[in-house]
Amino acid sequence: MAPELVLAHARERDLTKLAEYEAVGGYQALAKAREMTPQAVIDEVQASELRGRGGAFFPTGRKWAFIPKPDQNPNPHYLVVNADESEPGSFKDNEIMATVPHRFIEGCLITAHAVEATRVFVYIRGEYTGPYEVLVGALEELQSRDDILGGVTIVLHRGAGAYICGEETALLESLEGKRGQPRTKPPFPAIEGLYRSPTVVNNVETMATIAPIIDLGGAEYAKLGVPDSRGTRVVSISGHVERPGNYEIENGTSMRSLIYDLGGGIPGGRALKAVIPGGSSTVILRYDEIDVGYDFNSLLALKTAMGSAGVVVLDDRCCMVQLGIRISEFYEHESCGKCTPCREGTRWMTQILRRLEAGDADQGELDLLLSVCDRINGKCLCPLGDTAAIAVASYVDKFRGEFQQHVDEGGCPFGDSSPLHNVLAPVAMRTHSPAAVVPA
Amino acid sequence: MSELYSDVQRLKETYPDWHSAMLPALREAQHKHGYLSPDALRECADALGTTPAVCEAVASFYDMFHLAPVGEHMVEVCTNVACALVGAQQVLEAFEQELGVQAGETSADGFATLRPIECLGGCGWATIVSIDHHYRTHVKPEDVPEIVQELRDGA
Amino acid sequence: MSTPPTVKLTIDGVEVEVPKGTGLVEAALAAGIEIPVFCYEPRLGPPVGACRMCLCEITPGPPKPQAACTLQAADGMVVKTALTSPMAAEAQNATLEFILVNHPLDCPVCDKGGECPLQDLTFRYGPGNTRMTFPKRTFDKPIPISPLIALDRERCILCYRCTRFSEQIAEDGQLVAVNRGSETQIATFEDDPYRAPFTGNVIELCPVGALTSTTYRFEARPWEIQDVPTVCGLCPVGCNVYATTREGKVKRILSRNHPDVDGGWLCDKGRFAYQHVRAEDRLRDPLLRVRRRGFEEVSWERALDEAERLLREAEGRIVTALSGSETIEQAYALAKLLRGGLGSHAAMLPEEVSDALDGFRVPLSAIGDAKTIAVLGDAPVVERAPIVDLWIRRARRNGARVVNEPDGADILIWCGPGGDGGARVAQLAQQVGASGAFYLPETANARGVSDAWAAAADTEATNPDPIGLLIVSGDEAAANADVRALAEQAERVLVISMFHGLAAGWADLVLPGTSYLERDGTYVNLEGRVQRLRRAVIPPAPDELAWISQLAGRFGVDVSPYPTAVFEEVSAIAFGGIPFGAVGDHAELPPATQRVDQGSGPAGVRAQQFDGLHLIRYRALFSGPAVERTPELQFQRPLAEVELSAEDANARNIRPGDEVTVRSNGTSVTLRARLNRDLRAGVVRIAEEHARDLQPDVELST
Repeated sequence: MAPELVLAHARERDLTKLAEYEAVGGYQALAKAREMTPQAVIDEVQASELRGRGGAFFPTGRKWAFIPKPDQNPNPHYLVVNADESEPGSFKDNEIMATVPHRFIEGCLITAHAVEATRVFVYIRGEYTGPYEVLVGALEELQSRDDILGGVTIVLHRGAGAYICGEETALLESLEGKRGQPRTKPPFPAIEGLYRSPTVVNNVETMATIAPIIDLGGAEYAKLGVPDSRGTRVVSISGHVERPGNYEIENGTSMRSLIYDLGGGIPGGRALKAVIPGGSSTVILRYDEIDVGYDFNSLLALKTAMGSAGVVVLDDRCCMVQLGIRISEFYEHESCGKCTPCREGTRWMTQILRRLEAGDADQGELDLLLSVCDRINGKCLCPLGDTAAIAVASYVDKFRGEFQQHVDEGGCPFGDSSPLHNVLAPVAMRTHSPAAVVPA
Repeated sequence: MSELYSDVQRLKETYPDWHSAMLPALREAQHKHGYLSPDALRECADALGTTPAVCEAVASFYDMFHLAPVGEHMVEVCTNVACALVGAQQVLEAFEQELGVQAGETSADGFATLRPIECLGGCGWATIVSIDHHYRTHVKPEDVPEIVQELRDGA
Repeated sequence: MSTPPTVKLTIDGVEVEVPKGTGLVEAALAAGIEIPVFCYEPRLGPPVGACRMCLCEITPGPPKPQAACTLQAADGMVVKTALTSPMAAEAQNATLEFILVNHPLDCPVCDKGGECPLQDLTFRYGPGNTRMTFPKRTFDKPIPISPLIALDRERCILCYRCTRFSEQIAEDGQLVAVNRGSETQIATFEDDPYRAPFTGNVIELCPVGALTSTTYRFEARPWEIQDVPTVCGLCPVGCNVYATTREGKVKRILSRNHPDVDGGWLCDKGRFAYQHVRAEDRLRDPLLRVRRRGFEEVSWERALDEAERLLREAEGRIVTALSGSETIEQAYALAKLLRGGLGSHAAMLPEEVSDALDGFRVPLSAIGDAKTIAVLGDAPVVERAPIVDLWIRRARRNGARVVNEPDGADILIWCGPGGDGGARVAQLAQQVGASGAFYLPETANARGVSDAWAAAADTEATNPDPIGLLIVSGDEAAANADVRALAEQAERVLVISMFHGLAAGWADLVLPGTSYLERDGTYVNLEGRVQRLRRAVIPPAPDELAWISQLAGRFGVDVSPYPTAVFEEVSAIAFGGIPFGAVGDHAELPPATQRVDQGSGPAGVRAQQFDGLHLIRYRALFSGPAVERTPELQFQRPLAEVELSAEDANARNIRPGDEVTVRSNGTSVTLRARLNRDLRAGVVRIAEEHARDLQPDVELST
């Protein structure tokens, strides 16, 4: 078992209390970092080979290094923390903010020092009342601690229910009081971000990893894990496992171990059918593909990814067409409506999948589904549409026989024995238009 | 003049650019009015210094803002995959029965609005039910009568 | 001047060199290649990359299609459009398929049909049939989003051009997108009408038939119409327009983008008020007052006899009141007859515009690039010269400061009383070292009319007493209270007017006037730019120049009935001899003249002090004879509002929307408060039609 860094001591002590956190050495990394030049902090983080924990896996130190120096751009720098965790399967940031708020805040303050920002905005998803209240409490305790805050203002900004705001440019739009629709890149946020000023956007877990890195030293941190995936990762395990929850693992731990050792295996003596490895946006793995390291390169070899580290385990009762419907409905609901392929394509995908499940689809429509996915993939403004298409296409790819069965047998072979049968999704609640629907 | 106006002026000062106060202002307006009625949007717009159309454009983008009246209590059941795998649909149906409403509706007495919701970020503690924006974890259909009773008792 | 740096790139195998910073869509055009677009419209600000129609294969770059509209040309870039790249072609097909899955394909009954980019691109690149077998999204349609604009949500492809215009150009915050994802719709708040000065531009911006003009709806097909290039004659900006005509009638007005003047935008008055041309109360025949029987329609021959008689009987004791909407040629012809032929030099000019301004002459577009703009004079710019307001907004978006004091400004704009025809603003411009100065007159051709009048003779005018004949030229003059007062003193009155009623009761002879849409000739706009009016439709009566020429002949004065000839004559005197032909489709602005020392003038920009607040009464954009005759524009008439600064509002605890009472000695009016952060403290503004008898010195209370 790897050492816990992000969640260290959280199980034995109440680290939401400042005194408790300081008792385990809290805010000493901050003091250490402030002794260093901003560039030295960036160098340390680069040495750690830390990559963003939000899902895109971009090297954190490199992202910071993109921020122009004050003499290159006179605008103030901002640190914006992406705490809009909404990816189905991921709930790690929730727990991090709720249990180690000070480690998270310490990371923010170190980062603010590194990128020379005096304002930090934490964009926390609106539904996260619990973590929000914990952070409010933590910041209140810090009010009188100028030695810690060091003149940096941290603003908690609550979202209002939109998955797309987890995309960094959509998040910035939302933070600017607009509809959360992604911007085109370039310009990247490091050059023109919040209020068109240089902005670093980092994930909660990334922030909570910074203090341990400064503590240990970058090189020491980089000894953990495997090449290209250094250090630890908080993995969210859910679905059909005995012990769902968040586990901090060393990168490279095998997927099998996640499911069977940490997760305790499949309940009820059922068989594993598939696993979503990194949140709903990732390509699904079949039961026979789990002897793989949970790290960037190993999963890439299987054309999938760690994403936001949400491992969702499905047992053998699950219908893959039903899974497709539910996932497609999710993306249809969450599509921001800005770019055409995502807006129109996700809706179309759902329609075809529903017809397949109902047994009304012919062979052509199964091919059409793949064609629609293919026409969405790679054409969208942001990753939302692309990932929706990739995820659903992977269900067909990995379980083609099952999809074929829906066509051949004129219906679903699983029916209501699948736990995903007839699940009511928010998108289905929409009255699609004020007028009656007429046939095409 | 409502206190919303002065609250919003304070919110505007939190940010380098007043536009950022939009979501917090809408949240305040919704809190005060129960939902974002046309009047609430107008009031919000006047306080922010923008138009009600812009406020509605933003509000209607986000699931947590209600542009139509909702019940005294919000009951939101996550029905995304992780919760669905362990029985979220049955939990939703139990609430339908206990509250006497269809999902997506508000009870006739205005007591509660029930709706399915996308992933709430608590997949490991499924099924997640958000009641008045506070999570209940590991909810099973058989827990629902007690939860509703608690709500009715004002617990 | 050094040549701007260029970059070389290859598009579909064609090597092209373009200035650095050129967008790929424009770079491709330079290579003769079309990259199709829907959402891309550079005038709306930075590209948004929403519609995905422009996807191309681009190296260097990621191995997937890139939105060309969001990228700039770079050295060594290799761009492959759908013409040469299977990847790009597939992407383009995909986009078109997605756009069309929920599009109703109702081209045969769509106003946009025949001039629709979606229709054109579908024909050029689209699939021949559909793979969509599900019910399409349907909506109630069409929905009037105002009396001027109909919205068809089924046709909408959500390119967000219209909402971007509303948000980022007009900044009116009225037309927005609501909801999310495939449920997104274009809407106004609570189905309120889209009520703002520039709404009609969204019709032209819409690349499909989603936003159409209610006044053009089902009026014509693109192959039945002619677009006549002319300029708008309803305000001193002189926006360049096309008048679309069918069967001798004006059917709509479109922008004819003059990048230095209007940037391709029009106000709703300019776009929709063309209907005044066919107003029911339009005068077609001359009217003669007949004793005890009121007015009688008479023949033109008779009318000219009467006019000749009136002119002769006045024996030179003639005063001419001009509107400022006459063409240069009309004004000069009249002046030549009256001043040259009859020695009658007395005139009431609409507004004299000072030549001193010419030293600070810059194009309107210079406002958009300014760093600090001083708006002086306190009257609302948008109500007087609407496009100027858009230029100011553009400057502000680019970081410019907009202030109410001249110090430190590089552009000065005077709008309102006290400007002394622009002499004052030129003086201030010199004092503060500004690079440009504008004076906004109230009428469309104030400058041209006063120059033309002056060009006809050098003699100083003496005011006749009593006035033998008052000639009232045009509807603005006829509606002017001072002119009416003068008519009381005149023995006889001759009025040139387009409409019944305006002159009834006080004229002895009324001659039908014409509209700017019916005239050939020239106007001088507020920049000092001479622009060409072209006759879009034939007027119902002979135009002014034709009968002035005839009338002049009876007095032995030689006036050509042809604008060309008249212009050449007046140009030689007043416009540096530029030939008529040079006043081209996109007229050039003459260079600024040598600045002459203006002296220092009084300190400060405001002469008067007020105990309370200074009330500025203004003539609203949506008022006047043309607007009154356009039923669809009535909802745009000014609201019963008083505009005040945030400072004055705070001092009186007034919040936006409050009912406030405006008082001046003895009289009061109750109006809704509107805050305007651009308004200087100490000034309030009320539209003329709501200001009633209020005096300039007012106080406000809730």
